[in-house]
Amino acid sequence: MSVIDYLWLMVLMALTTAVTRSFFFLLADSRMPPWLQHALGYVPAIALAAIIAPDLLMSGGQLAINPSNAKLLAGIAATIFFLLTRHLISTLAFGMAVFTLLRLFAPAL
Amino acid sequence: MDSLQAEQAAREKAAFWDGVRISAPTMPGLVAWGAVTGMVLVQSGLSLWQAIVMTLMVYAGSAQLAVLPLIVAGAPVWLIFLTALLVNFRFIIFSAVVGPHFSHLHWTRRLWYGYFNADLVMAFFPQRFPQHTLSKPTGKLGYFMGLAMPTWCSWQLGSLIGILLASQIPREWGIGFAGTLVLLGLTIPLIVNRATLAGVIVASGVAVAASGLPYRFGLVVAMLAGIAASVTIDRITGSATDQERGKS
Repeated sequence: MSVIDYLWLMVLMALTTAVTRSFFFLLADSRMPPWLQHALGYVPAIALAAIIAPDLLMSGGQLAINPSNAKLLAGIAATIFFLLTRHLISTLAFGMAVFTLLRLFAPAL
Repeated sequence: MDSLQAEQAAREKAAFWDGVRISAPTMPGLVAWGAVTGMVLVQSGLSLWQAIVMTLMVYAGSAQLAVLPLIVAGAPVWLIFLTALLVNFRFIIFSAVVGPHFSHLHWTRRLWYGYFNADLVMAFFPQRFPQHTLSKPTGKLGYFMGLAMPTWCSWQLGSLIGILLASQIPREWGIGFAGTLVLLGLTIPLIVNRATLAGVIVASGVAVAASGLPYRFGLVVAMLAGIAASVTIDRITGSATDQERGKS
């Protein structure tokens, strides 16, 4: 691909980002029906859960709800840690530490 | 500047720093996530400048990763464009959460601000400005940019680190897991009632079951299923969210 073609492609791709991300910035009306406003209130929690669930519950494209899934164990440990401390950065550090220890010292578990 | 304008500017500025403060703890996770994406860009065959231009302009990790094999294989531009568009489809749902708050702005500004409405911005914004604050614009732009700018900067910083150090970070370290942990920490406090919990469980299950779908459509299906579950539980138990009960 030539330099010019590549730059054009990048402009087009940036446009897909801009248009999808701003879709309801451009279309929405501040007078949305109440039921829709209510339903949208659930979106953040649901979207985040849908993003992280495959990373925690799957391994190599397969469902992996078992004790040899280091990400799942570290995720559970991080959840408990967060519920106790309510502190994001230390939860991140704790979760990565658990994950790394499991990976290094219990690869087969 | 008259005093009213000065007052308003001060309020937006305060809101901006509130946004920076609340999103700051997520930055290490975002940097790590960006780094993983940057590494893959270079390792899949993009040159240094190609990877840097893509990161700075496209600002959509999943779409960037999805088009890599197509670019490397020399696929036609329209096919690559279409793939990026489909992978970014889920952003439309994100935009419905924040977008309506800015319906009073000129469309060029809405397009510009919308571009920065990434996952984390969408997660934080409604905690301060839930749906019932639609008609009150005060502080929203400042707060939005206070979330969006650190998010953009840490993602780009991470991506550049990943691009430049691609061969030096072993893949088995799994540093991308930091991004998942940050989102986990953001999700937990959002689960404020049974309806939300039901939506989160259903969305997680569907996301796993549908993870094989192309263009990250699994995420779209999971979100729609999760919203349907939440609304259904709401109807059955007759409970509204705490915010709505308190304020409307």
